[in-house]
Amino acid sequence: MGVPDQSGDHQWSQQHLSHYIEGDLRPRARRRLARHALGCVDCGRGIRAMRALVYAAAGIDGRPGVSAPAAIFDRARLAGTSGPAAQPGP
Amino acid sequence: MTPELTEAELLARARSGDIAAFERLSGAYADRLFMLLLRLLGDPDEAMDVAQEVMLRAWLGITRFQGRSSYFTWLYRIAVNEANRALDRRSRRPAGVSIGTSELELPASPAHDPFRAAESSELRQALREALMQLPPELRTAIVLRDVEGLSTQEAAEIAGIGQAAFKSRLHQARLRVRAAIGDDALVTSGG
Repeated sequence: MGVPDQSGDHQWSQQHLSHYIEGDLRPRARRRLARHALGCVDCGRGIRAMRALVYAAAGIDGRPGVSAPAAIFDRARLAGTSGPAAQPGP
Repeated sequence: MTPELTEAELLARARSGDIAAFERLSGAYADRLFMLLLRLLGDPDEAMDVAQEVMLRAWLGITRFQGRSSYFTWLYRIAVNEANRALDRRSRRPAGVSIGTSELELPASPAHDPFRAAESSELRQALREALMQLPPELRTAIVLRDVEGLSTQEAAEIAGIGQAAFKSRLHQARLRVRAAIGDDALVTSGG
């Protein structure tokens, strides 16, 4: 990932906040974004927002999950007698 | 069937036509797979329909599973492909019978909606709505990586693309979701 010129720092940083928190920036670009964010309220908040987004996504359901309905295998059962053994190989 | 059978043993039995072994093998991932389809499709009835199709295709195609990936990855890849096919069919429906965004996010019947069984925070709701607004390929990326918590390698394999392309989709998805929700709401919530 390249490094922006000084005048493009803000726009470039805004577009690469996900790369930053994901660790996908090369070291020089990462330092540049971090330096810019120190003096830029919007980008500093953007980094926190992006981290919050990823954190929230992991807990989007607010609970472990739901159970798959028992009928999930119904079609496979119906096809059972003509299942994989009757299918042509790879 | 003894409970001690390994996944490899269940797979071997399933490949020879043992439907009970197939159900035990795939059943271990059924809840997670159903949740994935709910997240990708946003509609419980459609998720159920697609989930049945995924299991049918897995059952009929299990002799072609060669073990180059884990069984979980193979099953998830079928699910993502089937979800995308369902979304494609949905996009081609005549306008008169299309499913509206609000219906996708909040199915009419609470009894039908597993999400509503638990209280959701405003941020979670905003996040779900933002995810449903994404194009399917971006939604798949953020769901597999951030919601499901899969590694980039595994998620890219399931999505059927290279890791660099997957990362590009993930970053695009996050940018769009961030823009949709807003930094204030995200930062205030603290995640």
